[in-house]
This record gives sequence, structure tokens and C-alpha cells, in this order.
Amino acid sequence: MPVLQYLQAFFADLREQEIPVSTSQVRDCCQALLLIDWANRDYFYSTLFTTLVKDYSYQKAFDEVFERFFNEYLSPENRQYFQSVNSEQPSHSREVTAVSDYDIGMGTPMGKGGTAQAPGGKKNPLQQDFGRISAEELTSIEATVPLLARRLAAKFVKKRKRNDQNRLDFRRTIRSSLSTGGIPLNLYTVRKYREKPVILILCDVSGSVMNFSCISLALIASLERFFQYIESYAFIDEVSDITGLLLSGNPLNFRGHVLRNARVVGVTGYTNYGRTLEQFHQRFRHRITRKTSVLIFGDARNNWQENGKWVLAEIKSQAKKVYWFNPEPVSQWNTGDSIINDYMPYCDKVFACPNLVELEKSLAKI
Amino acid sequence: MDNMQIMKGKMLRAGYICDDKVATVLYLAGAMKKPVLVEGPAGVGKTAIAQAFSQVTQLPLIRLQCYEGLDEAKALYEWNYKRQLLHIQAVANKNLSVQQIEEDIFSDNFLLTRPLLKSITSDSPTVLLIDEIDKVDFEFEAMLLELLSEFQITIPEIGTVRAQHQPFVFLTSNATRELSEALKRRCLYLYLDFPSKEMEKQILMLKIPNLPPSLAEKVAQVVRQLRGLELKKPPSIAESIDWAASLLWLGKEDLDVETTLQTLTTVVKYREDQEKLERIIYRDRDLNFRA
Repeated sequence: MPVLQYLQAFFADLREQEIPVSTSQVRDCCQALLLIDWANRDYFYSTLFTTLVKDYSYQKAFDEVFERFFNEYLSPENRQYFQSVNSEQPSHSREVTAVSDYDIGMGTPMGKGGTAQAPGGKKNPLQQDFGRISAEELTSIEATVPLLARRLAAKFVKKRKRNDQNRLDFRRTIRSSLSTGGIPLNLYTVRKYREKPVILILCDVSGSVMNFSCISLALIASLERFFQYIESYAFIDEVSDITGLLLSGNPLNFRGHVLRNARVVGVTGYTNYGRTLEQFHQRFRHRITRKTSVLIFGDARNNWQENGKWVLAEIKSQAKKVYWFNPEPVSQWNTGDSIINDYMPYCDKVFACPNLVELEKSLAKI
Repeated sequence: MDNMQIMKGKMLRAGYICDDKVATVLYLAGAMKKPVLVEGPAGVGKTAIAQAFSQVTQLPLIRLQCYEGLDEAKALYEWNYKRQLLHIQAVANKNLSVQQIEEDIFSDNFLLTRPLLKSITSDSPTVLLIDEIDKVDFEFEAMLLELLSEFQITIPEIGTVRAQHQPFVFLTSNATRELSEALKRRCLYLYLDFPSKEMEKQILMLKIPNLPPSLAEKVAQVVRQLRGLELKKPPSIAESIDWAASLLWLGKEDLDVETTLQTLTTVVKYREDQEKLERIIYRDRDLNFRA
């Protein structure tokens, strides 16, 4: 198997793992490979990684493919062949796609058409449905949640800071122009002060949304670090204030931490949105002000019980915004005991977030 | 000795310890003349790598610190309006033609060069460090993209300024937002993570020459444990160096529970983090920091 074909199969396999590898990256990679000693595994790995991968979150996928292809990595004589191939065909990009006649015995690649598939299939874990991921994948997803929270926080802050498109502050501009002989050298605009976001989160932690609640709790934990005014409540059939609780928990087991340390299980232990909402109304309704944005994470599967939607209606009338994040795809809404339709009129927006990518998108919209 | 080992040795003499993988990227950046995008958590030496590289190559370092609202006037160039104004007033009664005055005031003398323009008009090659690129907005990033691919800047009043020497470019990012694909494609990618215990020990001993190895080892080990905990801000390499230095100043030979409690403030900077660590230390009475 010629080196170039082998590399080509390697690139193809990376793409199959949804690592975006562009032609210019392939060109850079080949160019870089000529500059290094292939006999050193670190050099070789680092060269491929730095030219082909541009985001740290792909590292795991990249490592897997790399292991599969270069376990018995290239020996010095192979490198000589590669160089002779290159000297004959100076244009790197063309030469990569060209089929070469050199066979330097590298064994059959297990890439395209081979039997070996990366464990977990070819999908990026971030795009996989919450309902269908393994515990191990869940951990790897959770690791990316703080980043997501940071991006969100950065976005909110950015919104607050843009001042340059505001109305001209005439008085200040004229005042400062006096020192330059009446010529307004510096323009001043009116600062607009935005209210700091006040966030209140209600999070379903029942078994039906197990994976999703792990993610949303991790998200709450991260958001609590970035926002000053944030309150969080968890529920199954009883609602409990968990603000600040997550700061002390093990990030890998937030859900267990909440179940142990907060009173979220009531009489039955089955999700009960109606009871939760009524309780919330009794105990915490004063927490909602005109400035509050209410975020609800849950699947609205109510085990055929009272929906208590009048509470949500009241929340809606008092809060600034109400958003609902539902881990189920739209096709499953209102099937079985899901009563999301009952709540929809009282939400400013209901998002379907079956995976992390969607969740991030929806969070970005608010 | 191959190129990577030479690079490693040079970086070491510049006060920066790097492994084979990092050395490879640096070597490739030099050989292929490509910008390097450095990502990683805060305090792992992203900025220091560019500084060390400029020492290694003995080229001047030009630094552009990015922040929210950074615009071209602050990054590229700006006309010195006040001087232009003074000049116009000064020549007002000298009967110069309008054209002459315009030529005067739009010449190099009235141009304030900002870091990006400076780096490409410099007489010798430079190392250009664009720090925290993720802080700027998309418009600026697009402008930067043009600069990084063509190494030229167009100033309407003067014309196109082309780089005489292509600078070595380092971009650092804390990944607070996704950078554009196009920008990432143009760069070699380098992810720096916190160093291994062994490497951190070496760093400590390099930065503080008279630090006893046993203390360096202990500090490296404890700092590593701290980073494993969920802290608001995990200790950076700079902080672990500070810590080791302060222990040395206090004349401590070993790091025990008491000493740690006394000097905790040099290594964790948030009140909540300190309280959390104190709680754990008082509970366990050792420095293993089990969660």
C-alpha cells in the first residue's frame, strides 16, 4: 500500500469521524511531513495533529483513528519512499490525490471499507441524543459544559458592552470640543445600561430525563459561576432550592448529589409537574420579579396528573421571559403522558434540545 | 540532535520547558512560516511561549492585547488628527497649495502605527503575538484573516503596505467563543494543557534555581491535586512558581498542612476556593485533597 494512499485513507477516516479536514489542511500536512523525522512517534503525531485538527474537542476521535492507522508506525525506509514520491511530483496537493505505484508494505489499512469502526459509531458525541448515550459518553459531554456556559456568559456580557451604536451624547461632545478650538475630535455616545440578567432555573431531575438532567445540572453549576443573580430549583414531585448546592458537588455526579442533599422526592416519587408548580407558587413565588428570566428544563411527562398550568400562567405574567427546554425531539411531544402543549401558551419559547449541539443553539437564541 | 531537539534546547535556554510535541509545532511554524493558534486553560504559558520564541529567534516581540471593542484604529493604524490639525494651522499663512498640504498631512509622519502595521513594516522580521483573539468580534477577526493570509495592509490615503518580512505570528485563545473556521485553517494548532507533575517540577527548578528538588516535587504534586478539584480558578503555572518562591522565602524545607494553610492565598485567589480548600484540609488533615 503506497504511503500516499495510506495517508489518503487516513484523511478519509478522519472525515468520517466528522473531523473537518480541508484540502488546504491536507496540503499543509504533507508539506509538514517532509520536514520531520517520521521515526519519532511524537513528532509524527504532533505534525498530523497540528495541521489537521483545529479544535481540542476532536482530540479523542483523532487519537482513535491515529492509533488504528499508525500503530506500527512508519519506519525510516518508508519515509525515504515518501520523499522520493514527493521529489518526482512537486505539487503536494496533486500528489496526494494521485495514485502512486510505490508499494512499501504497510499492511492493509483498516480505514474505509475496513471492519474497524471507532467505538461509539461515527457520530460526534455532542450530536447524539441525550436519551441514547452511554455513561462514558455522558462524562465526556459533561466535560464540555463549562465551556458552553462560558460562551453563553461571554455572549451576555458582549451584549451589554456594545455602546458604539448609541445616540450621540451632544453635551459631552461639545464640552470636550472646547479644548480643541471647537472642533469635535472625540465623539461621545450615550451609554446604555442593560439590566444584569436575573435567571431562575427549574430543573426536572427525574429518571425519565436522566442524562439530560445531568447535563442541565452541570450547566447550572457552570452558570452559577458566571452570573451573579441566578437561582436554581430541582424537582421530581417536590421542589427544592438547590442554589449554590452544586458548587460543592462532584461534577461527575451532580444528579446523585442533588438527590441526596435536596428534598426533591415527595409522596410518590414520580414526576409531578402540577404539584411542583403549585409548591413553587406557595414557597417561592416572591422570587420572581419583572427582571427574572425563567428557564425550565424538563420533558413535561406528568404521569397523567394535574398540570397546574395556572401557576405557569402566573409566572409568565410576572417574569420577564419564560423558556422551556425539552430534551425530546418535537415528534415525541404530546405523545403518551407528555403535556408540553398545556404549558406552551405560557412560555415565550419552547425548544427541543435532543442533543448538546441543539441545546447550545437554543440557549444562544435567548 | 535533530531540529526538534535543537528547538527544545533553545527554548529551555529562553526559560521555557516544552516537550517533543510542542517543539515539533514550533519547528514547523518556523519552517512553514505559518501562524500558530495556541489554545488552553488560563495560566499554562500560552503567552510565555511566544515570548520565549522571540528570545530564541532573537527577534523583537510585538504584542497586540485583544479586548472587547478593539478596532482597527487601535490595532492597525490611525491618523494623528491632532498633529494634522496643528500642521494645517501652522502652514495656514504660507500660501501652500491645497494638494501640497494634503500630501504633507497624509504622510508617514502623521501616521500612528499600531502593533499590526508595525509588525509588517518592521525592517527585520518580528514575532507578532495576538493575545486572547477570542475577545474580539467577528468583524475584526475577518480583517485579521486578510492580514494573516496576504501580509499586507491597505491604507486608503497611502496605498498598500506589503510586509518586507513575514512575521512569526502567535495567536492565543481561551476558547470563550468559537473562532472562524477560516482563521483556524490558516494556523497550526497547538493545545497546551497543564504540565505533568514531572514537567512542573522541572519548571519550578528552572525558574527558582535554589529551590530544593524535594520541595519542588511536593509543590508540583499538591498543585496538580488542586487542579483536579473543581475550583473557580485552578492554579496556573505562574501561581505555583509564586508559591514555591514564597515557601523558599519563608525558609520552609517541606510543605506540610500548617504551611499550606498559611500560604494558601498565594496559590488560590478566590475566597470561595480558599474556603473550600481549608475545609478539605481541616477535614482530612493531609494534602491529598480527596473530593
